[in-house]
Amino acid sequence: MVTFKIDGKEIKAKEGQTVLDAATENNIEIPTLCVNESVLPYGACRLCMVDVTKGKRKRTVTSCAYEVAEGIEVDTKSEKVIKIRRMVIELLLARCPESEEIRQMAEKLGVTTTRFKPDEDGDACILCALCTRACREVVGKSAISLINRGTEREAALPFYDEADDCIACGSCVYICPTGAIKMEDKAGTRTISWPNCSQEFKLKACSACGFYFAPEKQLEFMAAESGVELEKLEICMSCRP
Amino acid sequence: MINSSVYVPRILPELESFTPGHRACVGCGEVLALRLAFKAIGRDAIVANATGCMEIIASQLPYTNWKVPWIHTLFENTAAVASGIEAGLKAKMRKGHLPRRDTRVVAIAGDGGTADIGFQALSGALERGHNFLYICFDNEGYMNTGIQRSSATPYGATTTTSPAGKQSIGQFTWKKDMPGIAVAHNIPYVATACPSYPVDLIDKVKKGVETKGPAYIHIFSGCPTGWGCASDLTIKLGRLAVETGAFPIYEVENGRYTVNITPEKLKPVKDYMKPQRRFRHLTEDAVKEIEKRLREEYHKLLEKAECQS
Repeated sequence: MVTFKIDGKEIKAKEGQTVLDAATENNIEIPTLCVNESVLPYGACRLCMVDVTKGKRKRTVTSCAYEVAEGIEVDTKSEKVIKIRRMVIELLLARCPESEEIRQMAEKLGVTTTRFKPDEDGDACILCALCTRACREVVGKSAISLINRGTEREAALPFYDEADDCIACGSCVYICPTGAIKMEDKAGTRTISWPNCSQEFKLKACSACGFYFAPEKQLEFMAAESGVELEKLEICMSCRP
Repeated sequence: MINSSVYVPRILPELESFTPGHRACVGCGEVLALRLAFKAIGRDAIVANATGCMEIIASQLPYTNWKVPWIHTLFENTAAVASGIEAGLKAKMRKGHLPRRDTRVVAIAGDGGTADIGFQALSGALERGHNFLYICFDNEGYMNTGIQRSSATPYGATTTTSPAGKQSIGQFTWKKDMPGIAVAHNIPYVATACPSYPVDLIDKVKKGVETKGPAYIHIFSGCPTGWGCASDLTIKLGRLAVETGAFPIYEVENGRYTVNITPEKLKPVKDYMKPQRRFRHLTEDAVKEIEKRLREEYHKLLEKAECQS
């Protein structure tokens, strides 16, 4: 166990825990958009910045990727930190003016308007890479990734249209904090739309009742991964014995 | 996110404010729903819990399954207590006794505590517009006290206070439309859910707690003890209830209806009723009558969703 201070309050945390986790466990709220416990920390959104004083040195770090240490002092509400957060959310507001989630987060941080020129492409991606991390770390595929550099950077399929690796499981859709990735199931086809590309996938109809219940490629991937025969997986949850 | 098995569940929150080791029956759908709901609610919550199964099984002195502040209320005042907690928090935060933060106030009750005894308090709290989430776990009867009928018991079901026999078909009134009554209060969010569709349930509870103002979620949870079915059938019966149209799953956001699960063809209601002892006495004609009425209600709901979109 490690003892340290957050906002003047002494708390205990497990070794190897991040400052963000320890703070949340003690009901100290730190805003964040790019954290999910099923994937490794990445530090993309920069909203969880905190001041950390270690000995004589004071640094501003991302709390989601900073491990707790004996004797450190964390300040989650210093003037500098709040200024950084407001700046970040203002930039995000300009990047995705139509995103409800970003607007709510901005409201929480006391920001209602942005001084920057809003983007007009209508895409809500904030490049937090939760989708690509989930694809790689949770599903075990790497169907989508962040491509290009600088202002051109975006989450997309290779060459915008090669979905060979994608099993259409929908994890990226579910994990996306701003709803930038969309999915629709209609008449045996699943369409997943990433910000600049979209792809259609076939759904499998249950061999007993005919209900379209899962993407074909997902079932094939599961069969190959687990060694279970494909026919056994082709029955929907309601019809399974 | 109905068709999202296997991979999506892996990214759901691991945290559980309701711990294992409780005393619920084998195959209880209600406690499963509770567990899933608290995955979405998180750790910064205060719970007001009406008398009922969920209170009995999780709070035998000196033990508790709750990791969040929890208060046991009477049947009739759950919503009143929850609104009091919310008003208290608001006042404390305004006066600076508590730091400003988003503490969720959740009231949970069974169908008896919601549709019968706690109805007045609930209606009042919804009308006053408190910022809280009310979850009703509907197992269609007073199962905790020995399977008595409630106004949420479906037509034709036999219970100890509506026994089927020569003179009686069992429960003789139609199931009270609680979500419909909640919608009539013009509150921002009303939804129905079922633990057989866990991702859907978690999403709805999350939406509910994040709503500013009152939210009402009606969760259909199987009860093997009260329904007289095998304990491994809870999940399956939940699915069948949705697929036969006996309990449609929908949400109403600011008066706009969305039906979340619309099977292309509804299965016959017989499939849902057959594994349950409480419907065993029904004749084929009676089942057909029930099916007809259920279909009517279901189509009414579909129409509501269509004419608004």
